[in-house]
Amino acid sequence: MLFALAWRNLWRQPRRTLLSLTSIVFTGALLVFLLSFQIGVYGQMKESALKLFDGYAQMQAPGYSEDPDLRRSLIDAAGLKSVALAVPGVNVAAMRVNAFAILSHGERSFGVAIVGVDPTSEPYVSKLASSVALGRYLDSTDSDAIVVGHALARNLKVAVGDRLTLLGSGMDGSVAADVLRVVGIYNSGIPELDRSIAEIPLSRAQETFSLGPRVTTIALAGKTLPTFQNAVPALGGISRARGLILKEWTDLEPEVRDSITLKYVTSAMLYVTLVVVVTFIILNTLLMSVLERTREFGVLMAMGMRPALIGRMVWLELVMLAMTGAILAILIGGALALYFEAHGIYFGSLGKMMAQYGLPSRLYPDFSASSALIGPGALFLAITLGGIVPYFHVRRLEAATAMRAA
Amino acid sequence: MRSLLFVTFVLVLAPNVVSAAPDPDALLKKVFDNYRANTSTGTVSMVIHRPDWERSMTFKSWTRGDDDAIVRFLAPAKDAGNATLKSARGTWVFNPKINQVIKLPASMMAQSWMGSDFSYNDLAKSTEILNDYTHRLTTTDIAGGHTVWTIECTPKAGAAVVWGKVVLKLRDDDVMVEQTYYDQDGKPARHMTADRVGDIAGRSYPLVMTMHPLDAPGSWTRIETIAASFNIAVPDSLFTLSSLQNPRE
Repeated sequence: MLFALAWRNLWRQPRRTLLSLTSIVFTGALLVFLLSFQIGVYGQMKESALKLFDGYAQMQAPGYSEDPDLRRSLIDAAGLKSVALAVPGVNVAAMRVNAFAILSHGERSFGVAIVGVDPTSEPYVSKLASSVALGRYLDSTDSDAIVVGHALARNLKVAVGDRLTLLGSGMDGSVAADVLRVVGIYNSGIPELDRSIAEIPLSRAQETFSLGPRVTTIALAGKTLPTFQNAVPALGGISRARGLILKEWTDLEPEVRDSITLKYVTSAMLYVTLVVVVTFIILNTLLMSVLERTREFGVLMAMGMRPALIGRMVWLELVMLAMTGAILAILIGGALALYFEAHGIYFGSLGKMMAQYGLPSRLYPDFSASSALIGPGALFLAITLGGIVPYFHVRRLEAATAMRAA
Repeated sequence: MRSLLFVTFVLVLAPNVVSAAPDPDALLKKVFDNYRANTSTGTVSMVIHRPDWERSMTFKSWTRGDDDAIVRFLAPAKDAGNATLKSARGTWVFNPKINQVIKLPASMMAQSWMGSDFSYNDLAKSTEILNDYTHRLTTTDIAGGHTVWTIECTPKAGAAVVWGKVVLKLRDDDVMVEQTYYDQDGKPARHMTADRVGDIAGRSYPLVMTMHPLDAPGSWTRIETIAASFNIAVPDSLFTLSSLQNPRE
């Protein structure tokens, strides 16, 4: 009865209701789309940053990331790898040896990070393998091969086929020296990587750096970061049980994590402002209509309707308006987000700038329950709560004076 | 004998000497002359100590003038034959396994040498401290029968050095007994002490020296000079790349 009454009241002033509804729907849909877009872009940002080299998570010995000493290495790497692969959500576990050494060619020498990788699993963790621009990536038959970044190749003045000398120190402190042949030059688009990372076969690195069967890191990856994150608790447990540390993506790319947090905070401020402004607009309209309807309420009261019930009816009108608006907002914003999720949004001219963040030039929103509900939900909640104002206003009315109101 | 005379001199005339405020540049120059001489050669054992492991090695070194030094490993067997040559033109490393000479980037000179707490500069008895720093005498003390001068060294403007400040303690027998290296923020970063000073080849010499990195408690590197001789005849060909690669000695 009250519902029907409230619903009918809403459409007694269709223009006003439609206007209010439009502002709710528009704001709500905008919030749904923007949030989907943000979540989508940040997801792509995280994944591209992690896929470049780190992997979605890494298993390490405690203290390794603070002091990357070869002694802080993993002993039973092969066993650990198979245990990690058994966790649902984990597709790849790539054993790595990270070491520092000087690479030298003629008179030119540079200090770089030497990464010993398993050529069969590494390409599924890191995109360096697929960004080889000249020559080829390492394969499982390689022994004295090395793949360097194009900036390093330029600095060392080497081309594919040239020999490089490696000099560093092994796990036992002995001199680690080797002669390697450049088989490939990669171009990741990230100058820092291209300058500082060179990859050699895992077994060669273990031999050169006197590591025996040890590795320094197991890099893990799954189908997507969100699905992989489900495996993190189990992986953490496995690591802890063996006295190791699991570095999650937030530990591996703290800058990406921080910049995403910062962007969420600044855009949250914008969203809150939007919600507050729209809520006030709606409340203003409603309060106006309530004032306009004082005589009507007086008549209702004279007919025996209690002020509290009238107040509830007015409040219900508002709730219905907000609910309708929120549902429409989710539908429209969601449709928009889903459309672009399928087709992507092309940022052609910004492509170069975005590549610096490891982003492709086509971005995809990510429509999800949270991106659908947060914006419209906040709007609905704010309007519903704000409805208390007209409710109390109506409750204070008295039949006789209300009927005589202008 | 000379140092004994000097001690007597100091004891008797100490007030005069102290007030005479010796020139820190000259003091330091004398210490380096004593340490390096015109030419020097020595056999040194080095112990790298870490909280959970220890490693020792032995090497032989030659120095000439301010710039030239060559260091060749004798033990352990795995590293024997590795050698480092430092000259005014740069620093090279020879590795017998790959039979190649590698030029070190200049940025590596301040880096750890062979995983020890000494840098390439330290090992080559670099005179960087003489040339790239200004020296100021801060205190003069008497300790163990010796006058000990404390000299504060601050980098000259524009000098490409890694330390913010170095404080040295020099003894009157021309031996450096302590060195403290401060980083750019003025925090002490590493500390070296001469643990045993004795006579070798007719001069006072820091026979045992220990370097403590102050950010890694429980880690140190100790070098002990087993044999040394000074101002010997060294062929010019010793400090060349070909001698680095094909040792004649």
